[in-house]
Amino acid sequence: MDPGLRRELGAAAVITPLLEFSGVDTHYGDLHVLKSVDYRIEEGEIVSLLGGNASGKSTTMKTIMGVVVPTAGEVRFDGKSLAGVSVAERVRRGIAPVLEARRLFPRMTVYENLEMGAYTRPRGPEFAQDLERVFTLFPRVKERLKQLAGTLSGGEQQMVAIGRALMAHPRLLCMDEPSMGLAPVLVEQVFDIIQTINRQGTTIFMVEQNANMALAIADRAYVLQTGQVVLSGAAAELRQNPMIREAYLGEMKVE
Amino acid sequence: MMGESFAWIQRASPVQWIAPHLRSRVLVAVVFLLALLFPVIHRNDADIDSAANALTYAALALGLNIVVGLAGLLDLGYAAFFAIGAYTYGVAASWQVAPEWTSFWETFQWLGLVARFHDSGGDVVHFQVSFWLMMPAAAALTAFFGVLFGAPTLRLKGDYLAIVTLGFGEIVPIVVRNTPSLTNGAMGLNGVMAPQLFGWSFGVDATPYYYVGLLLVAFLILTSQRLKFSRIGRAWMAIREDEIAAAAMGINRVKLKLLAFATGAAFAGATGTLFVAKLQTATPDMFGFPVSVMILVMIVFGGIGSVWGVVLGALILQMLQSWFLEDLSQWLQALGRLFGVDWLQRVELASSIELIFGLILVTMMLYRRDGLIPATRRVAALSLEQQSAPVTRGGFDSLRGLGALDQTLDRPGAGPLLEIANLTVRFGGLVALREVALGVPAHSVLAVIGPNGSGKSTLFNAMTGLVSAEEGSIRFAGAEILGRPPHAVLERGIARTFQNIRLFPNLTVLENVLVGMHARLHTGPLGALLRLPATHREEAAARERAREILAVFGNRLLPRVDHVTASLSYANRRRVEIARALASEPKLLLLDEPTAGMNPAETLELAEQIQSLHRLGLTIVLIEHKLDVVVNLADKVIVLDHGEKIAEGSPAEIRRDEEVIRAYLGRSAAIV
Amino acid sequence: MTAEAVLLQQVINGLSLGAMYALLALGFTLVYGILELINFAHFNVFMVSSFIGMGALELLGLSGQDTVLTGLALAGALAFAFIVTMLAAGIIGVVIERIALRPLRGVRGTAAMITTIGVSYILFNIILLTVGASSMNYPNPLPSVRWDVAGAVLELREVLIWGVSVVLMLGLHLFVTRTRLGKAMRATAQDPEAARMMGVDVDRVIVTAFFLGSALAGAAALIFGLYYNFTSFIIGYTAGLRAFTAAVLGGIGSVTGAMVGGVLIGLIESLGGHFLEVRWADVIIFSILVLVLVFAPNGLFGRATVTRS
Repeated sequence: MDPGLRRELGAAAVITPLLEFSGVDTHYGDLHVLKSVDYRIEEGEIVSLLGGNASGKSTTMKTIMGVVVPTAGEVRFDGKSLAGVSVAERVRRGIAPVLEARRLFPRMTVYENLEMGAYTRPRGPEFAQDLERVFTLFPRVKERLKQLAGTLSGGEQQMVAIGRALMAHPRLLCMDEPSMGLAPVLVEQVFDIIQTINRQGTTIFMVEQNANMALAIADRAYVLQTGQVVLSGAAAELRQNPMIREAYLGEMKVE
Repeated sequence: MMGESFAWIQRASPVQWIAPHLRSRVLVAVVFLLALLFPVIHRNDADIDSAANALTYAALALGLNIVVGLAGLLDLGYAAFFAIGAYTYGVAASWQVAPEWTSFWETFQWLGLVARFHDSGGDVVHFQVSFWLMMPAAAALTAFFGVLFGAPTLRLKGDYLAIVTLGFGEIVPIVVRNTPSLTNGAMGLNGVMAPQLFGWSFGVDATPYYYVGLLLVAFLILTSQRLKFSRIGRAWMAIREDEIAAAAMGINRVKLKLLAFATGAAFAGATGTLFVAKLQTATPDMFGFPVSVMILVMIVFGGIGSVWGVVLGALILQMLQSWFLEDLSQWLQALGRLFGVDWLQRVELASSIELIFGLILVTMMLYRRDGLIPATRRVAALSLEQQSAPVTRGGFDSLRGLGALDQTLDRPGAGPLLEIANLTVRFGGLVALREVALGVPAHSVLAVIGPNGSGKSTLFNAMTGLVSAEEGSIRFAGAEILGRPPHAVLERGIARTFQNIRLFPNLTVLENVLVGMHARLHTGPLGALLRLPATHREEAAARERAREILAVFGNRLLPRVDHVTASLSYANRRRVEIARALASEPKLLLLDEPTAGMNPAETLELAEQIQSLHRLGLTIVLIEHKLDVVVNLADKVIVLDHGEKIAEGSPAEIRRDEEVIRAYLGRSAAIV
Repeated sequence: MTAEAVLLQQVINGLSLGAMYALLALGFTLVYGILELINFAHFNVFMVSSFIGMGALELLGLSGQDTVLTGLALAGALAFAFIVTMLAAGIIGVVIERIALRPLRGVRGTAAMITTIGVSYILFNIILLTVGASSMNYPNPLPSVRWDVAGAVLELREVLIWGVSVVLMLGLHLFVTRTRLGKAMRATAQDPEAARMMGVDVDRVIVTAFFLGSALAGAAALIFGLYYNFTSFIIGYTAGLRAFTAAVLGGIGSVTGAMVGGVLIGLIESLGGHFLEVRWADVIIFSILVLVLVFAPNGLFGRATVTRS
């Protein structure tokens, strides 16, 4: 759905967000990572999660996928609690991850990697449609189907990683640092693709360090710091916020 | 550790009048006295014999504990060293080898090591080396074998080492079996001499062996304890906790692992001497895999790494085997007779001892991995008062031993302290760094910035010897350090922290910092064992200095010196890591995202502390994402992108550089 | 026999031993590939399975080498024995994983490996206490059919061993390359966390690896019995250590490597035993293990890093 349309509808009716964190805490052993975190992601949006290394961004992604279990609070997807829901069931319900540093299966072919993205779904016409969609978005991927994923270049790997996630036919795409390690020109390409995917109807929740780029394409953003949300709002407004400019865009005063 | 484990004793009233710090010593003295009196009171030769055997296994457990418990090297063929010790004495004090007499042997005869024996076919040599001489000699020889075997294999990852040691444990009995000329093969050595003391032979009476065993165990406990709480023991535990971090903190992994292996082997060698002297025979079957497993079960049961724990584990399991199981079998048989249950009457639990060992091993691993007396001390959490103590803000004015440089390096025009040229690092097909060049003048701060994955941490890894470079050069203080192992780099004066924090999680804050001093302290294994005044002074000074360094962070760490670092907050772990690096008296400090995971107040606090280090003369290279920190601290900034240096200059210049804005700060054109 | 014929004979024998080691090595490699764990229990799953296979053959009324079957009866008896042994072995593997290893998932250090040593020891002693320490005569219904190949003797049992091994290895290969679960297994071995995020039930994959590895050990155990006509509580360590060496030589974690490594070790054992004395065979194979680990830690087909930087 078009975000603008969604916003108009939102004014009229109370809409359940696609993904909602309420008061989520997570721990690794003695370490307290997320501290009572709230997120709210509406269907059709691009939402960015900004923050430094070790601020809890990747933990957020792992919590959404169910790899990390919250010690308090609740995560809801499409209005239903995800407590006790397996990773496979989450993928089936429509959440797919694009992992940090791509994380392809290096000694499997590109095609097998795409298949792994659709692991929780039966083969059938829908599988073929999704495959076709990936090929349309990334013609390069189609050329390299039989190649081992570990032999691809960084940019090609990122395309396969996004393609792999799309093979799950997700409603929500969770991307962990899609720009990491990519050349600037490739970063711009990737961000263009993200916008295209979003326009085709997929909601996007994206962890990013490249704050300028992330805020440029996002509708809204959250800023995470030592496991707490310290700032949130419309991306356009956050770009003007002096705090974020200082801390994350490097807009420091040059004396 | 003793004081804590036996805390219940302190509640009993008679110990109230013993000063608290002496209680554990008094307890040890009482236990030792009781053990000394045991044969006098009990006077049952069979029981004394079992007790002597139990002491033998306690000695073995102490040896394996050095290897597995302290250094973290899983050795599944430990019995092989036991065998080498046993056969060394067995051959040197029996009729097994009897070459023809020649004049060559006369000197040895004069020394009393051999005797001339008149045989029908001519005179032959009879080896009769004294037990008291052979015990240390066998220990030394076994240690030598430990080094011989360890040198090629100790570089292997833990689980591979395990299987190689398993193979070694299988091979040694095979070699013994296949070389009958030396060992009498599967038939076994015969007629091994009993030890003699002032002309009196030990014979077959168990009591003298019990006392030798008791003294041996007492000596090995002392050795273990003194090593464990010394520079050497800390280095072993650091290797166990995190090998890479240990190497980066100046620990020569190969040397210390070999030392652990040799020490463990020596313990087994000495014990083997006693074992064969007591039995006066030895066959290859006595040293097979089951023995290695039994010793492993003992240390797992008692508590891996815990000196008192493994002794207790060995004693309990041996007592179980020789006393309790037999009694239990008899009770069960009696029960069977009483109720007419046929199979109960035939129960023989003693034969299923190995099954019971297997069950104990699995059960302990699943339900109580720390064993009876855990080695790791968990200190109570801080009181609310301590936790809420006001945080000190800002820098500090003095810290000894920072960044001191040679006069030659420190005069004007001496060239940069660190100079990197043409550095290229490749991982498979991926270029992580391409022809990077940079220079860091003494007493300056260089910041390295760039997006995640741009090669910043690889740069640090190449500088500290953790990854090898394809080409280029890294000159530090006038010498090439590229290709040098990590510990050698630290010795030259480069210390670092890690992006994902690599502390030694089960060591305390203080111990972590003390490990950082490894390269600057001198206590060796002998010094640790003898605890000479010099060792004492060095250790006391090291602890004093560790506290001084921790005091840099105000009251963040000082109240937590005895806490294991696994229990600290993220920010405190970062601080401990910096303290550990400072402890090595670096000339150059490499900080990999020191403020990651810190909130703005903590970030500011740490930035001011880093500023103080700089002011006190330390040269610093800093990887940092928070640009306000970079601007405040750095004299110069270099920007990496895709493993290439794309810009270099003052923070202000970098801020204006178009390419930097594009690559690092993102497509800002889109938002302006 | 001529010298060439003797050599050919050793090659034939080596191929049979190699087929057995390869099947056993696959179990090490499947589990190691996913959990990075050396499963010491595998040694004695093999040993226990040889007794299960013996029981299965005896269930058919076979004992010793006197009863000889031919034709369909032989095929049926062997199929029954292989299926029963492999199923039972697979189930033992699954039980071990569920009871002793799953609770230790995520525990760092050597805990899981020490546990497998304990389990191995338990299996070893169960057989020692129930069956006893003496060697058992193994039922063998194979008729004595032999062919002359350039002066060397090729027996029916060799052909059978090769046939069964090839079928099982081909089956495993098809499983990991063609089926959904097999692909999930490879994915998990390459990147467990990413596989999990794709919705792969990693626990199920691990159980599958244990089942398959143990079932193959079961097949190897039956082959051992049919080849040597005996079994004993002690066979686990020697065969296991050789199979592990095979897995390392081929490159641990690599299925192809385990197969090739197994055959190589079999040939080395039979040819080495021919040119040197048999009693030194274990010393030779152990030396190979150490040499490979130290100088070529990735083996022939491997990618795992054995040494730490």
